[in-house]
Amino acid sequence: MKDDTVFQKLVIIGYGKITGEIITYAIEKQKEYGYQLEVIEHEVHSFSITEKLCMEHGIPFARIEDKKELTACLDSFSERTLIVSASNNFLFPKKLVEKENLTIINFHNALLPAYPGRNAPSWVIFTGEKETGITWHYVTAGVDEGNIIIQKRCEIGADTKAYELAERLMTLAYEAFVECFDAVLKEQADAREQGFDAGRRMYRSYEVPADGFFEMAEEPEYIYRLLRSLDYGKNGIFPPAQTVVDGKRAEILRYRKVVGSENREADSFLFLPLGADNLLKIKYRLL
Amino acid sequence: MEEKVLEILEEHCEEALDYDGDSMMEDGVIDSFTVINVVSDLEDEFDIEIDAKYVIAENFRNKEAIIELVRKLLEE
Repeated sequence: MKDDTVFQKLVIIGYGKITGEIITYAIEKQKEYGYQLEVIEHEVHSFSITEKLCMEHGIPFARIEDKKELTACLDSFSERTLIVSASNNFLFPKKLVEKENLTIINFHNALLPAYPGRNAPSWVIFTGEKETGITWHYVTAGVDEGNIIIQKRCEIGADTKAYELAERLMTLAYEAFVECFDAVLKEQADAREQGFDAGRRMYRSYEVPADGFFEMAEEPEYIYRLLRSLDYGKNGIFPPAQTVVDGKRAEILRYRKVVGSENREADSFLFLPLGADNLLKIKYRLL
Repeated sequence: MEEKVLEILEEHCEEALDYDGDSMMEDGVIDSFTVINVVSDLEDEFDIEIDAKYVIAENFRNKEAIIELVRKLLEE
């Protein structure tokens, strides 16, 4: 016997770890609810396993990078469809959001209404927040403005880097998804309005904390915070941070908090005191 | 060098040491976040820069591929 859902189709859009987990969970739940399941990858990622997972389970998979093509694809659905935007930067156009047969939910990696837009883990680290979290919300025509379905919180450690926080938030997002999925399918989710100010700041994709630049005279704690906020490993979300060394522009190759308090000298390395017992070791390259 | 690479792998992904296939990513042994940590430690340990073009599934398919990547970068 099938549980009661109005949705005939479930479409998951995303890539990476959280998308894989949500697909696996949606496959389990498919037996209960009987929806058709499809997966769309909008952004290609070198380590994504989404396609392989779909192939293994015989789930229709499409990679659609072009925004117009993706819009046309979603617009073509005529049945009642729930779209789960898992790890996805595609902004759903108004004409899709307003279609009566489509319901769209999205995972945002901050506690809305705070930090809407892009790269929230970076901004919360840069601004020195001690806590952040995730939000699943219904998608409306405004970016990250829809009603909140569920939120979960986590602390931001003193050494947390952007990619570490992003990973933690994805784990939280999956836990929250499992908690709210049945209610969403049954249209019984207790969603609440965000209640934000009209002038709230939206973080755009082209914005970089401190424009990715610091002066050597700035507090090491600030520099460390900035470097951590820009750190997504080699994913190239932000360009390398820059500073000026001996009057010449330099880009930061890597950094690390190390134990010690004495200033050390080494080619292409900077050592800045970080608290009483540590140094911020920075490797740079002159441009 | 090999020993150090294995030490780093052990720290972040012990399962990788026993893995004998050729796609750690697809087989769920390692994920993209672990790769970031491994790359960061390899750069620090060997004072090398691992350009993003090398951070692909092919170069992280198993421990031998990672050792080969480090060897290649050390020779450059």
